[in-house]
Amino acid sequence: MLRFTLAKLARTLSVLLGVSFLTFMVGHASGDPVLLMVRGDATAQQKADLRHVLGLDKPVLEQYVSYLAHAVQGDLGNSYRQRVSVSSLIALRLPNSLELAGTAFAVAISLGFALGVVAALNRGRLADHAIAGVAVIGQVVPGFWLGLMLVLLFAVHWPLLPVSGYGDLAHLVLPAITLALPPLGRMARLVRAGMLEVLSSDFIRTARAKGLPERQVLLGHAMKNGLLPLLTQAGLELGDMVGSAFIIESVFAWPGIGRLTVNAVQQRDFLVVQGCVLVTAIGFVLINLLVDLLYAAIDPRVRARA
Amino acid sequence: MSRAAIRYLGSYLGASLVLIAAALQIGCGAKGERPIVIASVSDVSSLDPHLLDVNHPTGSVIWSLFDSLVRRGPDGADLPRLAESWERRDDLSWRFHLRHGVKFQDGSPFTAADVKFSFDRMNQTPFSALQQLWPQTTLNEVRVIDDYTVELVTEKPSVTMLYWLEEAFIAPKAYYLAHDAAYLNTHPLGSGPYKLKEWVPGDHVSLTANAEYFNGAPALKDVIFKVVPDLSARLNGLATGDIDLALELTPDTIAQANGPHSRGEEVMGLRKLHFGIAQHSKLAALRDARVRQALNYAIDVPTMIKTLMHGDTTPLTSVVNPPNADATLTPYRYDPARARALLAAAGYADGFDLDIDFTPFWGQDKDVSETVAGYLQAVGIRPHLHADEWNDFRRKLSDASFDGLFYAGWAALINPSVELVIFTCQQEDNASGYCDPKYDALVHAAGTEYDPAKRKALTDAAQKIAWDQAFWLFLWRAPLYAGLSNRIDYALRPDDYVEIYLAKPRP
Repeated sequence: MLRFTLAKLARTLSVLLGVSFLTFMVGHASGDPVLLMVRGDATAQQKADLRHVLGLDKPVLEQYVSYLAHAVQGDLGNSYRQRVSVSSLIALRLPNSLELAGTAFAVAISLGFALGVVAALNRGRLADHAIAGVAVIGQVVPGFWLGLMLVLLFAVHWPLLPVSGYGDLAHLVLPAITLALPPLGRMARLVRAGMLEVLSSDFIRTARAKGLPERQVLLGHAMKNGLLPLLTQAGLELGDMVGSAFIIESVFAWPGIGRLTVNAVQQRDFLVVQGCVLVTAIGFVLINLLVDLLYAAIDPRVRARA
Repeated sequence: MSRAAIRYLGSYLGASLVLIAAALQIGCGAKGERPIVIASVSDVSSLDPHLLDVNHPTGSVIWSLFDSLVRRGPDGADLPRLAESWERRDDLSWRFHLRHGVKFQDGSPFTAADVKFSFDRMNQTPFSALQQLWPQTTLNEVRVIDDYTVELVTEKPSVTMLYWLEEAFIAPKAYYLAHDAAYLNTHPLGSGPYKLKEWVPGDHVSLTANAEYFNGAPALKDVIFKVVPDLSARLNGLATGDIDLALELTPDTIAQANGPHSRGEEVMGLRKLHFGIAQHSKLAALRDARVRQALNYAIDVPTMIKTLMHGDTTPLTSVVNPPNADATLTPYRYDPARARALLAAAGYADGFDLDIDFTPFWGQDKDVSETVAGYLQAVGIRPHLHADEWNDFRRKLSDASFDGLFYAGWAALINPSVELVIFTCQQEDNASGYCDPKYDALVHAAGTEYDPAKRKALTDAAQKIAWDQAFWLFLWRAPLYAGLSNRIDYALRPDDYVEIYLAKPRP
C-alpha cells in the first residue's frame, strides 16, 4: 500500500509541474502585461521601467523557475491588475467556491441517491417517469441558461430569492440548485440502474425469503452493494463541478475561484490565472488521488495491479 | 414497496425540503435600510489614488475617497475643490490657494506639504506609468509657499494644467510615507466625501459617508460598488430593486431597464467611435488623402446609426468633442459615386486589399466592422476582417503596427488640446502614425496659447486639417446607457465617472 501511495503521489506531482509550466508559457505567449497596466500615452521608458520593476525583462525560463521557487512557499506573486497578492485573492475566494460546490455536491449526491432509489422501487410507475424527466432535463439543459431561467422565475417574477451575489443562505439556493441539477440527474439514473440490478439478484430474494423487514433488505443488503459504483461517479462529478462552477459563478456573480479565473482571463491578469489554475489542478488531482486510494483500500485487486 | 421503506424515504426527502424551505425563509427576511448598490462590469484596479487607470470604476471610487485641487464638472468646467482659487502668475507658474480647515479621514490637517508630496509621488515609478500630470503639463517643480499656498512651475506654457490637476488626487504625506505600497493599495486614506469600509477584490467596494467632509456629508450614507459582469444579471438586479445604478447597459437592452422600480437613462458620451487609418502601413493607398476621403464618402453613417444604434446618436463632425468642436464642419455625406471617383483619381479605380481589425473592447465591434466592410466592398475595395484578441490589438496600438483600418473609440476627453495632440508626430499613442508638421505647429501653438480666442482659432484650424484630410473613418459618439432605481436621483456624466456623492435619495 505504501509503494502504491508513493507512486501515485509522484505522478500527482509531475502532473502539477506540467500544468504550472504549460499555463506559465501560455500566459507569456499571450502578450505583454505591461501594456495592460499603463495608459496608451505612456512613454517607452515608462514601460521599460515598469517591466524591470516586475521582473518581466528576464528570460522566461528564469522567470518560471523563480515563480516556482516562490510558489512552493505559498507566494504566487502579485496580480498585475489589482496589485494585491494572488494567494490572498485565492484565499478570499476558495472558501466561497468550496461552500457552493460542497452544497451542490451534497444536494446532488443525497437527492440523486434518494430519487434513484424511489425510481427503482416504483419502476414503470408515474414517480419513475417523473424522476427520469427531471434527470434528463438536468443533464441536457446548459447550466448558464438554467441559471438565468431560475433567476427570472424565483428572483424576478416571484421575488423569493436574491438575483445574484454572495451573502446569507438565501444567496446559495439558486446557484447551488443550478450546479447540482446535472450531477443529480446522472446520479439518480445510475442509482436507479444499480438498484434494479441488485434488487433482482439472488441474495435479495434470499433476504426477503428469510423474512427480513423490507427496511433491512433495502438498507442492509441492497444499498450497500449499490453504493460501490457511486464512488467512481462521485469522484468524477466533483471534478466536473469545478468546470461548471466557472460558468455558474459568473452567472450568479458568486465571488468564487471560478469567477476570479474568468475575470483574470478576460483582463489578461496572468499570474492570477496561473495561481487559480494551479490551485484548481491541485484540487482536481487530490480528488483523483483520494478516489484511487479509496479504491485500493476497498478492492485489493487494484493494489495488486499497480 | 413496503410502508417502512416509504416512510424511510419520505422522511429523507422531507428533511431535504425543510432545508430548502429554511433557506427560502431567510431570503424573505427583513431588508431594512439597504445600501445603494452601483453595478459595473469590472472591479477597481487599485485604491491607491496615484494608480488611477480608468474613469470607471477605479476613477469613480478614487473621486469618492479623495479630493483633487480642482474638480472637473460634467461639462468640462474647472471648479474649486481643495483649492479655493488659483491664478496664473506668468506663462510658466500657477498659484493655488488651498481650502483651510480640511481634515483627512484620520483627523490630520490638509496642508500644502500634502500637495507637494502627492504630486512628487506621481512622478515616480510605478505611478508615473499611469499619471500624466508631469509629462502633459511639462511640470517642473511643486513649491510650497506657505501652509495654504502652492506654486506649480512648468517648463512651457501649459493650457491643460487644470485639466490634469482634476485627475491628481491629494494623499496625506505622513500616512503614505509610513506604509508600504501593498498596504496603501488596499488601505486608502483621503479627505473625500466617502470612507472605505471594505474592499473584497473582484466582488465589491463598500463605502460609508464621511460625516466630517468639508463640503458636508453626502446624502447617501452607504454605497457599494459591486462587480456584476453579466449584463442580464445587472438588468435582473435592477428589476428586483437589488441594484440602484446599473451601468454599461446596451442600446438593445436599455428599454428593459424601465419597470415598476427603475428607469433607463441615456446620456451622450464623450467616446468617439471611428476607424483609425494606419499611416505606417505598407499600404501606400492610405497615405493618400483622397483615398481616406473616399472611405468616408463610401459609408452611410446615418443609416448605420438607425440600424445599429437605435438612432440614439449623431455622426461625428470633428475629432474634438463639443463644445470645443469647430462648428463649421459638417459630416461627410453618403456618396458612393464620389468615393469611386476619388479612388480613381488616386489611381485605385480597381480598388485595393484592405485589412480591418476590431476587438470587443468598444462594443458592437463585429457588427460595425462588417457593415463598414460591406459599404467599402460596394465601391470596389476588397476588405479583409480580422477579429483581434484584446492584448494583440493593444500591442498593435502601442507599436502603431496596424496595416489598414482599426475600430476604436477614443477615451473621454473634454479638453481640445488633449484630444488633438494624439495626431502629432512624436506622441506615444499616435497609433495611426500621422505626421504633418503643419498640423503639429497648430496644435503645439494651441497648447501654449493662453488667450481663449486665439487658442480657439488654432484648434479650429487643426480640426479642419484632421477633418479635410480624413484622419479617421468617422462614425459617431457613443451614448452611455444606465438603469437607475427609483430610490435615487442622479445625473449621469458623459465621461463615465460616477460622482455618487452627488446622488440624492428620492422622496
